[in-house]
Amino acid sequence: MPIDVQGTFVSQKINKVRWIPEDYMETKHFFTGSWDDDENSIKVWSFETANEDEDVEYPRQLSEYKVDGDVTEIKFTNKNVIAVSISNGDVKMLEISAYDKESPLKEVYTWNNLHNYGLEKCSCTSLDTLEGDIASIGEDGNVNILNGRRGDISQTIKGADSCSLHSVCFIKLNEVITGNIRGHMKIWDIRSSTNKPSAAFLLAGDELAATCIIHHPTQPHIVLAGSESGALALWDLRMNQFPTSLLNAHGGGVTEMQFHPENPNKLLTTSVSGEIWEWNMDMLTKKMSDDYMPVDDKTNMNVNSLMPTLHKAINTLHCDRGRTLCGADNEAIYLIKNLRY
Amino acid sequence: MSFSSFFQNTSLVSDEASKKHVKTFELPDKCFQKRIGCVWRRGNQFTVYPRSQIVNKTTDESRNKTDDKILNIRQEVVLFTPILRKLVNEANGTYLSVQKISETSKTTDNQVDFLKLSRQYRSIIRVCIESLQEAANREKEGINKNTYLSYLTIFYSIECIWHLCEILYIDIIPGEVVLPFLLEWVRFHFPCHEQTAALLLESCEVGSEDHKDYWDTVIVMIVQGRVDVARALLKLHSAADSNEFKLIDNSLRSMPVYSVYGGISTGEFTISWKHWQAECRSKLNSKLLQDPQLELVMRLMCGERSAFECVSVKFSSWFDLVGGWVLWTAPWTRRGELSAAAAACAAFTHTRGPLEQIVRALLDGDLHQVIREVQQISDNNWFAAHLTDMLHHCGKLRILDIHQADVTSRLRDSLILEYGSLLMEHKSLWSVGLSYLCGTPEGVRRAELMLERMPVQTEAKAMRITAEAKKYGLLGVVQSVSACMSTRHLSGGAERTGGALAWGARARSGPQCSRAAHAALRAHCAGRPLPAADLLLTAGPALLVDDTLLLLGKYCDFHRLYKSREFKKAAKLLVSLITSNIAPEYFWSTLLLDTLPLLETEEPVISSEDTYDIMLCLELRSTCLSKEKADLLRLALARNLARTVLVDVGDE
Repeated sequence: MPIDVQGTFVSQKINKVRWIPEDYMETKHFFTGSWDDDENSIKVWSFETANEDEDVEYPRQLSEYKVDGDVTEIKFTNKNVIAVSISNGDVKMLEISAYDKESPLKEVYTWNNLHNYGLEKCSCTSLDTLEGDIASIGEDGNVNILNGRRGDISQTIKGADSCSLHSVCFIKLNEVITGNIRGHMKIWDIRSSTNKPSAAFLLAGDELAATCIIHHPTQPHIVLAGSESGALALWDLRMNQFPTSLLNAHGGGVTEMQFHPENPNKLLTTSVSGEIWEWNMDMLTKKMSDDYMPVDDKTNMNVNSLMPTLHKAINTLHCDRGRTLCGADNEAIYLIKNLRY
Repeated sequence: MSFSSFFQNTSLVSDEASKKHVKTFELPDKCFQKRIGCVWRRGNQFTVYPRSQIVNKTTDESRNKTDDKILNIRQEVVLFTPILRKLVNEANGTYLSVQKISETSKTTDNQVDFLKLSRQYRSIIRVCIESLQEAANREKEGINKNTYLSYLTIFYSIECIWHLCEILYIDIIPGEVVLPFLLEWVRFHFPCHEQTAALLLESCEVGSEDHKDYWDTVIVMIVQGRVDVARALLKLHSAADSNEFKLIDNSLRSMPVYSVYGGISTGEFTISWKHWQAECRSKLNSKLLQDPQLELVMRLMCGERSAFECVSVKFSSWFDLVGGWVLWTAPWTRRGELSAAAAACAAFTHTRGPLEQIVRALLDGDLHQVIREVQQISDNNWFAAHLTDMLHHCGKLRILDIHQADVTSRLRDSLILEYGSLLMEHKSLWSVGLSYLCGTPEGVRRAELMLERMPVQTEAKAMRITAEAKKYGLLGVVQSVSACMSTRHLSGGAERTGGALAWGARARSGPQCSRAAHAALRAHCAGRPLPAADLLLTAGPALLVDDTLLLLGKYCDFHRLYKSREFKKAAKLLVSLITSNIAPEYFWSTLLLDTLPLLETEEPVISSEDTYDIMLCLELRSTCLSKEKADLLRLALARNLARTVLVDVGDE
């Protein structure tokens, strides 16, 4: 079946979309988080058919949770609980009922003004979760490790960066990697008590922000970062000073990347320039061990565009089997169906 | 002082006021008791505030306090309601496609593409109407429902006008014979008795004339040119087998229909059609038709003016009749020649709503008037801007000013500018507005001014604004927004020097970096540790943007070398910093005193030559150190010289 794209306008710029996982069946529900509006919110949606006989499904809003600021990241800590970072410096854990998706989201824990410049507010720019732990970062350059089970702050790395941090990712249970506005990446050992990174390296020489970081699902030593310039950098952390590959990819900043959950060789990326691409990473990750890759292989990387280029930024994507959701600055969400993986 | 804001709907200007172009609003409370001041804010907003020039020193404060209010007045924009925001965003996509196609259409003929995009616009309006309807149904009653209903009327008429515009100016009509399109337009927008007809045909009972709307339905079908339906309906009459019914049916059946591909010329068709109508007229004159309704049908078929006048009361407005009038009087009318038909039909009724006037102007081919009228629709000029743009790109718009100069593109630009600026006001829709503004040369300048004044709360937004600005080549905006972010960090204290430097480097602004570097150096002089070491040690070429920044970077590197006990390298760097004379006055004491530990190392690390240089600098700037410290340094220098004058520090 050919790829089928279906867009719905939702009257809010969408900064994050996340499918809500479901056991044993294809999920119909998803979260959206909005940004850059007078009033921002986290909404729960469900795909529903208007008529019985019709095939097309439209999203319908089930509930809304208003937040004071932009939603900067949504990540799951377990199946029904999400950790949300907000641009007023708060981090919240919200729970969605497993049985009644229409009931309002329940606050589990809230850390108010977790990131701040003293009395002044400061944005919490992103967070990552791993087995109930949350690592949050902010413009104040601090890293906070939160315990999502007990609801306390287990550790704070104060002044982890002198500039603002923009991306974070758990590499192992005790290691996080952060990227700042200049593309300076640092790896932190959470157990160590000194505020010194265990490793630091630069994304590229252009002093542009590292906007997102992820690691390969099956080879966790492979880390990818997207740059504000639209480049994609790939490191093998076993020898991390320089990126193994630096690919000039998108025309504008990379906004989100995700490895396909069912096929680790497939990477999806979105960008400020309005593109959503699918990458075939076979070449890049397999050849990693013997540091040699013929030049023509590098250029032969398979990249497909999943959607005609939008005229506004695509901020987010999330895929679940053959269906991918993405949210954009033209106040629309797009469902891409029949993606082969 | 309390702060309140209120919104007034300025878009629904009453007739009388629009003539004078003045509308009066009453401000609540006693604003005018004292003198007031007024100041413009960003976009279409202004603030009225009390401005008492007499300093009130009396103790009677409570009374004064209640009257002091700042009123924030802005235009209410219907397009900012959530449902219509969908329209704004979706139409933006289509608008951009129009621009793209018009770029290529300079070389090729893209009429088909334009038609497609025009249909796209209409489908967007249709979707909007649908969701408005849904919302209106959800609301039980009250103000909200009424607002939705009024939006509905607005967008119904917009779609109706756009459709007609599309037929008359954008669509490709073979042979320019507009009739079938016109009939379709009438049917589509003014469905009348359609349901009755469907009902009657479905039940298919002979003797349907008992239905109270039977004859009305038949007449309407004839007027709307739905001959087949009319014939089917007539067959359901209990006397359908009588001669007079057969006569009518025969005439209707034998009516010639023009088709470009039918193989006959227009002239030929005209002759045969006139012949057919003459036949009808003779049948009418022969008094064969006794039934008055059947006679009316026949009179309509003959295009009799009096017959049309007689049925006009059945319709809400005159343009329901236009299709029928053209059909039964001159079916060969080309699309530029509808003016006469419009005039004839308009004469039947006396309703003169705004929609009537726009349709009339359209049929008359007076696009200037159409645009003028369309601007009166209270949709914040969404329609005027998009329609004008579309027509302009199709090359169908030509508007002359009083000096007969072509001002079409100026008109289009000004509408687009107006619409774009309106959207720029909205917190979320600014990027949409920007894409409109940047399509015109003047708009780019305007966008520059507006972007610089956008409130920026987070770095993410700042980055998005600079990305958008870069897209349109507004490098000035990139600089000023980055510089603004840098200043904001700087005002946050020495801990935020890193942020200030990072944004200063993004702005590529020497002065900005210099300010941040000075702040850092001064903080260091005051005894704080050096800030932003991680940034400075990795900054590379970015340091070269400013001398002070370079000094800071190198000084930071000196600290790193010193801490890692690479004294020789550290000494070399420090000496070069001292001798290069780039340090600001207040930093000299720190620099000079930093040499002390290096002069006192076990192994000498500063060569005799360098010692002489430091000595020179010290004597030149001895004022910056206290006498005690200067003497201490002189002693250390002398001792180092003694150590190195015989065996100098070798180069490695």
